Amino acid sequence: MTDEAPARTGFLSPYRVLDLSDHRGLIAGRMFAQLGADVVQVEPPQGSNGRKVGPFDDRGRSLHWEAYAAGKRSLVLDPADPGDRETLLALVAKADFVFESRGPNEPSRLTPDEIAAANPATIHMIATPFGMTGPKADYAESDLVLWASGGPLAPTAMMGGTPTRISVPQAWTHASADAVGGGLVAHFARLKSGKGQLVSTSAQRSATQSTLSGSLANVVGQPDFSLRPRYTGSKKPLDLSGSGARTQRSKWQGKDGLLEIHLAIGPATGRFTNNFMKLMIDRGALSEEFHAWDWGTIHHRIMADEVSDEDMERVREEVGAFLLTLGHEEAVKEAIARKLLLAPVATVKDLVESPHEAARGFFDVVAGSDGAPVTLPGPFALTAAPGFMRGVGAPAIGAHSEAVLTEWLGSAALAASKTPSMEGAAR
Amino acid sequence: MNAAAKIDDAPFGGPDGPMQGLKVLDLAWVVAGPMIGRNLADFGATVIRVESSKRIETARNMGPFYGAVQDPQKSSLFGNCNASKFGLTLDLAQEQGRDVVRDLVKWADVVVESFAPGQMKRWGLGYDALREINPGLIMLSTSLMGQSGPWMALAGFGNIGAAMAGYQGLVGPLDGLPIGPYGPYTDYVGPRFGLAALLSALDWRRRSGEGCWLDIAQAEAGMQMLAPAIADYAATGRVAKAEANRDPQMAPHGVFPSLTPEGEDPRFVAIAVRSDAEWKALAGVIDGAGGGTLAADPAYATLEGRKEAEDALELRIAEWTAGRSPEHAEAALQAVGVPAYVVATAKDLMHDAQIAEQGHFVTVPGYDWEVIVEKCKMDLSDTPARVARPAPTFGRDRDMVLSGILGYDAAKIEALDAAGALS
Repeated sequence: MTDEAPARTGFLSPYRVLDLSDHRGLIAGRMFAQLGADVVQVEPPQGSNGRKVGPFDDRGRSLHWEAYAAGKRSLVLDPADPGDRETLLALVAKADFVFESRGPNEPSRLTPDEIAAANPATIHMIATPFGMTGPKADYAESDLVLWASGGPLAPTAMMGGTPTRISVPQAWTHASADAVGGGLVAHFARLKSGKGQLVSTSAQRSATQSTLSGSLANVVGQPDFSLRPRYTGSKKPLDLSGSGARTQRSKWQGKDGLLEIHLAIGPATGRFTNNFMKLMIDRGALSEEFHAWDWGTIHHRIMADEVSDEDMERVREEVGAFLLTLGHEEAVKEAIARKLLLAPVATVKDLVESPHEAARGFFDVVAGSDGAPVTLPGPFALTAAPGFMRGVGAPAIGAHSEAVLTEWLGSAALAASKTPSMEGAAR
Repeated sequence: MNAAAKIDDAPFGGPDGPMQGLKVLDLAWVVAGPMIGRNLADFGATVIRVESSKRIETARNMGPFYGAVQDPQKSSLFGNCNASKFGLTLDLAQEQGRDVVRDLVKWADVVVESFAPGQMKRWGLGYDALREINPGLIMLSTSLMGQSGPWMALAGFGNIGAAMAGYQGLVGPLDGLPIGPYGPYTDYVGPRFGLAALLSALDWRRRSGEGCWLDIAQAEAGMQMLAPAIADYAATGRVAKAEANRDPQMAPHGVFPSLTPEGEDPRFVAIAVRSDAEWKALAGVIDGAGGGTLAADPAYATLEGRKEAEDALELRIAEWTAGRSPEHAEAALQAVGVPAYVVATAKDLMHDAQIAEQGHFVTVPGYDWEVIVEKCKMDLSDTPARVARPAPTFGRDRDMVLSGILGYDAAKIEALDAAGALS
């Protein structure tokens, strides 16, 4: 669609993305950039507020920005400057995709109608908190509140008593990634019709996907399938799905860090627990009385009160004692060799140092916004095709203002623009 | 036949949606793989979901179930992941079953599969073999750890993926063992990246005439959404950990027990204060209810001050929330611009006015039981998603696929059936 852009690598290398997102939706443009699109992050003169989100390194860099703005170019445009507004409309006219992250009635540089009028072929994506319309569309929001609203927060009470979020915020990333998928579907519509359209997502609705369809329980008529535990009643319902979603305990202290294993029961996955018990037997770590247990059918004996809670607790104690002797690397080795549902609870340190990811060449070390190195996850798909762009970090404020204006609008536009460069950023 | 000749470069799209004309063979199971095909099918792609009726896939045995009937035909998890698709039961352990797959590969633009890495190859259905049959094919393989590397054979469900992607240690109390996110977290993240990669590859194929193989590791997809914490470790050595519901840049920030009717599970409200002004608003509401002086206290006027007093402030908020329903707290705080929401259970979602207005729950006709699924998460203004049909029951679309698409005659279908290949 764009003839003038320099040669880029990636499935989406011919396309231009105008990224008007704030701190909440940076990952969408990041995904487009990973796929090779020319993604221009439009920043106000003081810089994107994404640069003010932690964690920060010793150089004062926001790693939220360094991670999620990587691969993008930065253009400074002053929302208060009428000339910059004209420049923005000219850029919209050249953009294949425009992306925003905001509530439907939060202040914005341009309205959906203005964007559509400037370029009827552009695809305008908005990741919103609760949707474009509705009684709560203008609700105040945050990651925690959005995660609560869509359902995935509540069931964590099953394990800890208090619903607890993921400490690295997730709600907006899901809505933003969904907007990328929707934008690409709209791209196929455009190939046929020549027309763009508005693509919106709701972080609340996107979060429902993280409930394993437990969100449907009441509307489909199984209210007993609670997203939360049964706090009452003598016997807890047994989880026979094998998914590990609803079991009692899955985190254990290992020799050099935490381990994840749940003692699955039932026809679907009880055999994996049998495999694990065989490992314990081989290491002399399981009492004789438990050797003959068949975890594929043990639920019958539990229901018949032939196996008591105390028996189960004694098994768990032996499992806990055994796992204290098991290290991360050995755990993976045994899990593969014996088909166990066992894994290290990897920390970010484990991830960065993973021999598996090293063999796959997954992580990238790139020059960040000030030139110093930043370690980032690599492509989200490995492929022999030229699908992904790698090795480019996040931009400094306004680092590409001139280049973008020249490439997208031609040199005349650059001359006409009043705030194209770092000088603009410093005002 | 060269690649370019195979590919029909007429764009997809038609009255049934922007992906109409896209042909997808869906060999995936459980959640992470099937959700990709669900999204494509909702936008008009013809997606044929192949499964075994003998080795019933995990999702069919998981609830919640339509009408609370534990029946593999009535799982709403399966229904949610496979709505809008056609279905075919095949025994891939039989060569005759695999021959049907090969015929479907000739027909398809895209194959999605989520078997253990190496399984497709052992069946003679690896990418190299399928590319021989169909040079323009795009094959997407999704697995926990990817199709290469020393740990590629690590199997398991998404809770193992969540452990390997770094999430299991990031949910929990400030001290003690973490609890992890609910369920197989990377199953929720993976399809987002899979869909983006697949649609992008399709656009590249349109321009280049070439197919490709996409290797999606759920663990690596999951890591995309931990990128700031990964960069943080590499830069500073800090290892992200569970922080309960605390946030370094917001306070108070938590989940609070609310008034709960006798005999019911505890209910909660989530509250986040993003700014000093929002603190004043929250404190004003609490002061108004109890005659306190929180809002005027200069000690709490800044984030620093509130972080210092966070335990005490959380107790004050909990006193206030304990006496009212989470809906009441949500409304009272949102009225003054403070982020707050009921910590929604499935029951709460059923009655949520915003979820209702968004048309989130969709009733799908077609069976003699009521089928409800979640609407596609992507709202397209001009070419919206629609649920074309409920997820397949075993055998529902056999004739349509074998006769209508593959052109098999009755004798051939009968012979396959007699051999047990269609089970």
